[in-house]
Amino acid sequence: MSYRINALIRYALGIDIAGRSLAVRPNDTFLVSYPRSGNTWTRFLIANLLYPNDAVSFANIERLIPDCEAHSNLYLTRLRSPRVIKSHEYFDHRYCRVIYIVRDPRDVALSYYNFQRKYRQIPDEYPLTQYVSDFVAGRINSADWGTWAENVGTWLVREGQPGFLLLRYEDMMADPTRALAKVAHFFNLEPAADLLATAVERSSAPRLRELERSQGSKWVTTRGKREDIPFIGTAASGGWKSRLPAQSVAEIESAWGHLMKNLGYELTVSSVAEAEVR
Amino acid sequence: MMNRLKAAAKRAFDLHRPARELLILPDDTFLVSYPKSGNTWTRLLIANLLSPDEPADFRSINQMVPDPFADSKRHFARMPRPRVIKSHLVFDPRYPRVIYMVRDPRDVVISEYHYQRKTRRIDDQYPLDEYVPRFLQGETYPENGSWGENVASWLLAREGDPRFHLVRYENLLSDTIGELSGIAVFLGISAAPERLSEVVRLSSVDRMRTLEQQQSNASSLMKGSRKDLPFVRAAKSGGWRSELPESLVAKIEAAWGPMMRHLDYELVFPQSPGRTGSPDFVLGKISK
Repeated sequence: MSYRINALIRYALGIDIAGRSLAVRPNDTFLVSYPRSGNTWTRFLIANLLYPNDAVSFANIERLIPDCEAHSNLYLTRLRSPRVIKSHEYFDHRYCRVIYIVRDPRDVALSYYNFQRKYRQIPDEYPLTQYVSDFVAGRINSADWGTWAENVGTWLVREGQPGFLLLRYEDMMADPTRALAKVAHFFNLEPAADLLATAVERSSAPRLRELERSQGSKWVTTRGKREDIPFIGTAASGGWKSRLPAQSVAEIESAWGHLMKNLGYELTVSSVAEAEVR
Repeated sequence: MMNRLKAAAKRAFDLHRPARELLILPDDTFLVSYPKSGNTWTRLLIANLLSPDEPADFRSINQMVPDPFADSKRHFARMPRPRVIKSHLVFDPRYPRVIYMVRDPRDVVISEYHYQRKTRRIDDQYPLDEYVPRFLQGETYPENGSWGENVASWLLAREGDPRFHLVRYENLLSDTIGELSGIAVFLGISAAPERLSEVVRLSSVDRMRTLEQQQSNASSLMKGSRKDLPFVRAAKSGGWRSELPESLVAKIEAAWGPMMRHLDYELVFPQSPGRTGSPDFVLGKISK
């Protein structure tokens, strides 16, 4: 009984977290990725595309493209349709329209390691190799979102179907304007070239870093977290080549090599690469 | 404020059932399937396996292999561990160990169609050729995704994983003892061959029909449903060959052909491409 009353009070006061219990609407568009895969950058790109007259920042991003894992059901219920919602959930069949961003898991692991230090979820001296083992086995804090392969793999159920747009972070880095044009097309928009360019410009890593410096202490995602480690990370791809120990690279590739290869991520460990060829 | 309270009360209404909020324990095993894929039969088999002294029935399967959407939070908290729990949900990474049941979607849709008549969700005149497209879209059990989404999400995430045990309903029918012994091993239950035969006998379709007659109001699966239609129906495979018009077979195979082939369901239309451009890498992953 107390459980019922508790849930009722939490909902009415707007102090629950929507997450998986979000009431999904058919015309919602979800921006989904595993954590540390370029979701915030893409959120800014899309917000700047859809709301060119708003000065998009950490102060209004939660209104423009809210994070369903940071807000209450009540907050999200009050937003007008059509909503664009950010999410890290593994496959949810109720999401009708999905933009899914995938990033090389070797870079994700490195970025996540820094993020969990920033969030004080692991100590600074936590060994990176141990962290990668935890990451592969799903023993990290956000294990409820599945492992990288579970999150990515289950969303590929939708690949090739209408209402699903798969973006690779690495392709977005190489040509953000082209990626944003695809997103615009997904929203049935045909923006002028200068609007795309402006949106890309306004969402650049240096600009997001500047916004984080001035607003990071207020944004729901970074509020109260360590300020010596930035939320906006390297914004680069391939960092793992110099910074991830060979044994960790091998561990990730032997666990998820098949999926990685099929997403176009070249494998370095030859035994894995060969096993996948057969 | 009244509206808020109303919405909240609606949400709170069913909260004595844990549903998705079930507290999952590391030694739990989930018996997962899309609906109408042999889940109840397997629950009865497992319940009989777990209860050597007393034959299981529709009442005891809810005790021994409960459903978070039908049984109480209190019951889950009091169950002996390790627990076996029923589910029809799409992939959930929190499930530590999973027995996943899969059945030919051409048979599933027919079974589902009859069950929805029994439970008065559709009337007797409802045309099958309108039902099948809704089945393909995942509209018939909106809480569980479509057959393709449900099956593919589990296979893509877990196939080949030692914590995942795949059972084809068709194999369970043709070699019940063999498949049951695989399930017993996965559950860490040692059972002699004679015991397995006994379990299979106690879970036979005839016994299930008798139990259904005696207990049709005891189970949430059939409580309040039409009594002129049985819950335990054909318990066969391949019924679609006579019951499903070819045009509807073609629609199902066009949507899920490659997945069906991967699961060894022979296609009538082997050229079925799968839904628009099902990419090789998804199928590549599935057929790994």
